[in-house]
Amino acid sequence: MMNQLEALTRDNPVNAFKRLFDELDPLLHERGRLAIVSALAAAPRLTFTELRDALGMTDGNLSVHLQKLEEKGYLAIDKQFIGRRPQTSCQLTRAGRQAFTNYLDHLEIIVQQGRGRNRA
Amino acid sequence: MDPRQAAHTLEVIRTLMERTCQYRLLTAGASLAAGTLAILGAVAFCILDAGDPVSFASVWGFVFASSLTGSFVGTLLRGREVGERVWTRQTRMVLLALAPSLAAAAALTLFFFVRGEHLWLPGVWMLCYGQGSLATSAYAPAGIRWLGGAMLGLGALTLALGTGWAIVMMAVAFGAGHLLLGFALLSEERRERAVRLYRSVA
Repeated sequence: MMNQLEALTRDNPVNAFKRLFDELDPLLHERGRLAIVSALAAAPRLTFTELRDALGMTDGNLSVHLQKLEEKGYLAIDKQFIGRRPQTSCQLTRAGRQAFTNYLDHLEIIVQQGRGRNRA
Repeated sequence: MDPRQAAHTLEVIRTLMERTCQYRLLTAGASLAAGTLAILGAVAFCILDAGDPVSFASVWGFVFASSLTGSFVGTLLRGREVGERVWTRQTRMVLLALAPSLAAAAALTLFFFVRGEHLWLPGVWMLCYGQGSLATSAYAPAGIRWLGGAMLGLGALTLALGTGWAIVMMAVAFGAGHLLLGFALLSEERRERAVRLYRSVA
């Protein structure tokens, strides 16, 4: 992934930023969804409440983002009862983890490109 | 997206990931208070006899209980200050990681008191404390890892030096160690406050 993108930016230095930006996963590029995926990348599984409290989101906002991520196959949502209380927990799927890694790689390259430009 | 934005986004992601798995409610105030109490406890033995089990248990029991209360109150206040809940997954993980060391320390304390060899306890406590600190290192700030490693070394040294050095080593390890940790946390808290102020102004 890294090599492919580095090659891309080497071959087309003028349009490199635009092309890299175009390649950023639009689903992850949204602030709220990126925050959710970042939090889940650091913990194997988080409950809806833990995510809501960690990210300071409203229930409705978080639900919408979770649904979108689940539809894309980035998240697995598990609903179960703990005693008599319903509990929703989420974890990243392999596809979600891969998409997050790719997103980080893209950002890294954009940062490195910027550093290269500044040096030049 | 320009490189500066990308770097900022990476920084935010890193913070979010740390926030998810790190226990962030340790307070500088509680650590400084624990360090001061430990030093005062050691100083008390200029008057009291460390060889007397009652004096030894009273002084260090008071220091332990007061430090624990200070940590509890500090955590509650810090949680309120940063607007975070105290009883979180990270708190449970930290307590779970600490439990074996606390249980071992309690059992060994009882064992050495029953045998009348309580002056060996400072070294034992340091080893347990060091082990507990390192067990929480996956969820705790870097300062705790340093403190844990140092405590293991100091615990071994205390046992090697013998019972004559027990009280001095308590002042060094639990006193100076907590003061150093407190100052490290203090600078971290100031940095966080500056960032929050910057964000609120920006």
